[in-house]
Amino acid sequence: MIELHAISKTYTRPSGDTVHALSDLSLRIDRGEFVAIVGASGSGKSTLMNLLGLLDRPTEGRYLFDGRDVASLDVANQARFRNRYVGFIFQVFHLLPRTSALENVELPLLYSDRASTTGLGRRALEAVGLADRLYHTPSELSGGQQQRVAIARALVNEPDLLLADEPTGNLDAQSASEVMDIFDALNRSGRTVVLVTHDLAVAARARRVVRLKGGRVVADARPTEPKDALEEVQ
Amino acid sequence: MSTRRLVAHSVQALARYRLRTCFIMVGSLVGVAALTFVVSVGQGAKRKMLTTVRQIFGESSIMIGAGGHQMMGGPRPGAARLTLDDIEAVAKALPEVELWDAQQTMSASVRRGDATATARVLGQSERSERVRGRSVSRGVYFDAGAVKRLERVALIGETVAKDLFEDEDPLDAGILIESVPFTVIGVLEPFGTDLHGMDRDNEIVVPVSTLMRRLTNVDTIAAARLLVKDPQRIEDTAREITRLLRARHALAVGQPDDFSILTPVEVQRMVGTVQRVLSLYLPLAAAVTLVVGGIVAATLMLASVNARVGEIGLRRAVGAHPQDIRLQFLVETAVTTAGGGLGGIVLGLAAGQLVATRLELGAVFSWSAVLLGLLMSGLTGLLAGVVPARRAARLLPADALR
Ligand SMILES: Nc1ncnc2c1ncn2[C@@H]1O[C@H](COP(=O)(O)OP(=O)(O)O)[C@@H](O)[C@H]1O
Ligand SMILES: [Mg+2]
Repeated sequence: MIELHAISKTYTRPSGDTVHALSDLSLRIDRGEFVAIVGASGSGKSTLMNLLGLLDRPTEGRYLFDGRDVASLDVANQARFRNRYVGFIFQVFHLLPRTSALENVELPLLYSDRASTTGLGRRALEAVGLADRLYHTPSELSGGQQQRVAIARALVNEPDLLLADEPTGNLDAQSASEVMDIFDALNRSGRTVVLVTHDLAVAARARRVVRLKGGRVVADARPTEPKDALEEVQ
Repeated sequence: MSTRRLVAHSVQALARYRLRTCFIMVGSLVGVAALTFVVSVGQGAKRKMLTTVRQIFGESSIMIGAGGHQMMGGPRPGAARLTLDDIEAVAKALPEVELWDAQQTMSASVRRGDATATARVLGQSERSERVRGRSVSRGVYFDAGAVKRLERVALIGETVAKDLFEDEDPLDAGILIESVPFTVIGVLEPFGTDLHGMDRDNEIVVPVSTLMRRLTNVDTIAAARLLVKDPQRIEDTAREITRLLRARHALAVGQPDDFSILTPVEVQRMVGTVQRVLSLYLPLAAAVTLVVGGIVAATLMLASVNARVGEIGLRRAVGAHPQDIRLQFLVETAVTTAGGGLGGIVLGLAAGQLVATRLELGAVFSWSAVLLGLLMSGLTGLLAGVVPARRAARLLPADALR
């Protein structure tokens, strides 16, 4: 599904010096995979996620999605691509304050060209076990529940690809485990999941672990047992 | 992406930021209220001024006042004397003068039995009825004989009639003006207040000769009004009058006039100045308030964009086009300022009507004030929204989400 060919991302700071966030990175992710991206802070994980989700463009290299070169799409088509094919989950949830869970989840529908959207938000919240919290605002929900609302929002347009950048970074162990259960279930039902994490226990639940260092892939393990994959990249 | 849904969504978003929404609304409300108020009252005042000017100053009238540049005030102490003879001589010398009337005034206490009042007493000739265009609604005007014989007859205004007679018939009744007995022979046509806010129904008209001899004991007059035959040549006639009066008063070249002359042309010029103030400068001043309100709105919206960078990034991430973001912030600003604007129009019109009622300007509701208010609030909203909306739309999603 995803093919990255010799991707580089170079930031030029206002001062003039450049930062090579990603260098000559190639990566292939197939449909249905569950990939954890690990690596030290500053190793380029978030940059990679932004490129995968078309929130940013690579400086060099090619990005093929289902064989299509998507990195060179224009702004409008990139927006449409994100809306249709990608669901984002962030460390800080990014829920609209003073807005009900249901309205938050329905936000992507506002920007979609679907003909009918009725019931989709409710169904997405049911899928993350929050059917009884439809009209709660974020401040009335626990951190774990807020992240589940965010996952429901990512799911509402039934995207092929879920991109989660440190989704458990702000959660306690219990909530983190619940959130990972959801990713697990989503992956089992066929969704491609790519998540960035610091937490080895979280990475252990993925089926493939990619380690970045200095903007390059330094390890990539995909054995049958997730635990082994983790050991291998360490 | 349906624009209608996005607009509805933006309006809902306003409810999440009530305080900011309120501030912006108040900013636009104050500006629009000021503008609507000024425009509606200004139009009322203009209308009032024009009708009053027409009422008291036809296009063929020339007014002569005692004292230089003192038209509105009356003679200063030491001012040269303007006499009945002066006016009579001018009228005789200039065939252009069709009719004239001299006037002396005083403020007097009036009494009838136990009822007392203070009124302005005008001494005028019988020609005043035609020269000044104000007659009696009941009774009769005094005639030339009455003026010649210094008769003690009086025409009273409606206010005086009410003060002294309440509901009784004042005709043929006796009243005391400064203790001098007069007989009421007529009631003056109602006039209302004039431009100075003076109640022109609180007046008594008596023969000018009677006033000068029996009440004030002076032989000068305060003012005169002349009707000319040809309004086209009124400026020439006014120049002739000036020349004749200067000669009669033996003024040397270079000495200023010791009288003042007012022609319709002059009045038009004064009215024009007042009109400019009412219809240009005052609204301009009010518009400044609106601009300030707009700047407040723009600043608050910019702060809002800065505070909502994460939200903007999130919206982009879930598929918003930069144009969707721009539209959202434009709509938020426009709806808020328009809401404030509507309130401002209502407030401005209400305040305008209140003041207009006080000043007896009549009803001042004007569609142009409403339209102007709407237009200006919409315009401020758009202008105030443009910069914040553009900044929001230009944010790069990856940066906004960091
Ligand atoms: N907008 C940017 N401007 C300049 N440097 C950036 C920018 N974004 C990221 N970087 C740099 O790129 C490198 C990789 O960043 P990032 O992908 O966020 O790392 P990670 O998510 O693995 O912590 C870091 O050195 C970071 O400082
Ligand atoms: Mg990161």
